[in-house]
Amino acid sequence: MEGKYKHPGTGRMPAVMIFFVIMALFLQACAGASATSTPGPVSQEQASQTATTEGAIQKGTLRVALQPIVQTDPALISSDPEIMVANAVYDYLVDITPQNTITPRLAVDWKVSNDGLTYVFTLVKGVTFHDGSSFSANDVVWTFNRLKNPDVGSSTADLYANIDKIEATSDLEVTFTLKNPNPFFLFDLSDNHALVMKVNTQDPTDFNGTGPFVVTKYSPEDRVIVQANPNYFVKGEPKLAGIEFIFFNDQTAQVDALRGGQVDLVFAISTDLYTNLQNEQDLTLLDVATNAFDLIRLRADQKPGDDPRVIHALKLATDREAIFNLVLQSFGEPGRDSPIGPLYTQYYTDQYPLPARDVNKAKQLLADAGYQNGLKLDLHTPDTGNRPNLAAVLKDQWSEAGVDINVIVEPESVYYGENHWLEVNLGITGWGSRPYPQFYLDVMLKCGAKWNEAHYCNSKLDELMTTAGTTMDEQKRVEAYHEIQQILIEEGPIIIPYFFAQLGAINNQYQGFVMKAFPGRSDFRPVMFTGS
Amino acid sequence: MSTKVPGDLTNLQSAASSRGRRFATALKGLYAKPASAFGTTIFMVFVLLAVIGPLIAPYGENQIIATEAKQPPSTSHWFGTDNLGRDIFSRVVLGARDILALSGLGTLLAVIIGIFLGLISGYRGGWFDETIMRFFDSLLALPALLLALVLLGILGPSNNSVLIVIVVVYTPIVARVVRSVALGVKTKGFVEVARLQGESLTWILTREILPSVLPALTVEAALRFSYAIFLVASLGFLGVGVQPPNPNWGLMVSEARSNVNQTPWAMVFPAAAISIVVIGVNLMADGLKRVFQAPVNV
Repeated sequence: MEGKYKHPGTGRMPAVMIFFVIMALFLQACAGASATSTPGPVSQEQASQTATTEGAIQKGTLRVALQPIVQTDPALISSDPEIMVANAVYDYLVDITPQNTITPRLAVDWKVSNDGLTYVFTLVKGVTFHDGSSFSANDVVWTFNRLKNPDVGSSTADLYANIDKIEATSDLEVTFTLKNPNPFFLFDLSDNHALVMKVNTQDPTDFNGTGPFVVTKYSPEDRVIVQANPNYFVKGEPKLAGIEFIFFNDQTAQVDALRGGQVDLVFAISTDLYTNLQNEQDLTLLDVATNAFDLIRLRADQKPGDDPRVIHALKLATDREAIFNLVLQSFGEPGRDSPIGPLYTQYYTDQYPLPARDVNKAKQLLADAGYQNGLKLDLHTPDTGNRPNLAAVLKDQWSEAGVDINVIVEPESVYYGENHWLEVNLGITGWGSRPYPQFYLDVMLKCGAKWNEAHYCNSKLDELMTTAGTTMDEQKRVEAYHEIQQILIEEGPIIIPYFFAQLGAINNQYQGFVMKAFPGRSDFRPVMFTGS
Repeated sequence: MSTKVPGDLTNLQSAASSRGRRFATALKGLYAKPASAFGTTIFMVFVLLAVIGPLIAPYGENQIIATEAKQPPSTSHWFGTDNLGRDIFSRVVLGARDILALSGLGTLLAVIIGIFLGLISGYRGGWFDETIMRFFDSLLALPALLLALVLLGILGPSNNSVLIVIVVVYTPIVARVVRSVALGVKTKGFVEVARLQGESLTWILTREILPSVLPALTVEAALRFSYAIFLVASLGFLGVGVQPPNPNWGLMVSEARSNVNQTPWAMVFPAAAISIVVIGVNLMADGLKRVFQAPVNV
């Protein structure tokens, strides 16, 4: 060890070495190559080819960059990547089109009784699970009873509480009986979790679905590899030989991997990264208007949020226009503190004005609430999308009102894992786009709802949400939704600064991919490899 | 200090004045060669920036000028602005304090703990030496960055965690250096004499052995400091250390990566700041080594 100090000539080494290391790091960052990109991708030449029973050629392995998945039990999945993987492996009873309409999947057709209380579904014939067993009405009954069971811990327990009974009325017929009419019942049945599993599945993470792809390998934190299901019930689908879902913790690394040809599809990327991809020749850019939003919420059952003046002060301290221009770079739509966005046409209203930014009034409200000397809060945010930028802008804007926030950026899998996001006091949560607004209200804003992350309860709001979700009178529903928006603007527990466009990019060699507003629900079945 | 010896006070006074002289000599030595003069000047400029940063930075570190996002370098924004409209010059200047304070404090703590453990280990030997050194060997076997990542995984990202990481990563190295010098010195006559005179352990360690360790330690501390700066920046870059929107230079480089086509300046200037300060401190450490290579008068 003495040599370290006394040996001549070693003194200059560290400086030189550090210089080279810095330059190497710098050049690497400039070149857009990332140290975290996953090694060993399957090249196009290696892409396997298999023939379906109908003789159609399935070719190409689509490599999709995803944030790592944590949950694989369909009842418990919540993030986009988790749903995307599940959607490839399992089937829904009914699915949703990119235009937000209902389309058959495992159900061929359905009849609704005049009172709106009974739904009878006819199922597809000749469907088999990946383990070879055949699919029947009992599987559907078991799946929905499980999703309805509060002990399973799925957020769908509230969503399906209105179902009185589910019966297999024949081998290929299922009848749902409701307690109260529900105008959105078909949408509810197509909820992200409602993937049909085998009756009496012992291990809900065994990937035994009926879906278009079969899982051949799942290495947690690395990748999921799936192959085309040779027995898939839709003729000629899927058109791909397989998909490789490769996990990245960092969205910049995802985009670098796309540029470098190590993956073929990225989505849910920030506007910064998206605008940087605009000159790439080999890529098709994906830009979809959605009702997806980032939501800032302060828990209403803890200090300081238990005083409604505090969240009101935060609303007054927020400059929405600046956020929209800086963070979204004007992709998307400005938000109005309510999850009912402009995409829901008649349900959305902009007749109630948002209070203008007023820092002095915000300070006054905080002082009235007992925080004369300002507030110090930790703000938790996932590291995906535009959320870190939103946090940086909020830190600046709120500091003017004396609110000092300490930003804690967490990987998405940490933020949403283990219900951490429901527990943090102040957080930014990304909510995916849903085809109808009632979903958000039922799971996010009703008293005691599973994903009521603001831990907020307002009986007037509850009443309106129940009316909107049960009345068969469209006019009454529109009025209820408008009133809900008014209440949320005036006294709601959440700040929704914008609805973001869903941005992504796919390699030109793949055709037929239509990104849905909720990207995890995008359909890989019609995607084709057209490269050589 | 339980044992007082005649002339103690005089010794202290002369020690103080000799310390002052030694500092002046060291500084003169550093400025004797252009490379170390350059390094020392860079270091001092950055220390000055860290101290008076808020006086010269035209904007706040997190201040967003919504209308001036993505501006290239100009007279109103010397280093340009980033995608959110933050002034890069202000962020680089204000970031100096954090990165220097964090690495400086971390190095100081590592040096203090390293001296303490290294001296006792080297002088006492035996089971204490064996235990401490084998433990440190096991820590040294791990690459610094890997050890840092593991620790941050456990502690969670924050300034305090980064501080702990620096201490844990660099204490073993400092302790090793101190121990090796102490091992060589402890058999020298003047230490023997002190022991025979019945001096206390504290006295022997601090008054007899420590002065011999100091020259080597100063060079080592300067080197550790430059590595610590690099470590803080690297952890920021990897997103596991200091959290955004802190103007940590490494973090700024990382944040600017996604915008490199549109705002390359947001990456170039903080990256240059890291390079310059690390190279500066290294050149200064080289100079210190040269200055202290002259036989130490004990």
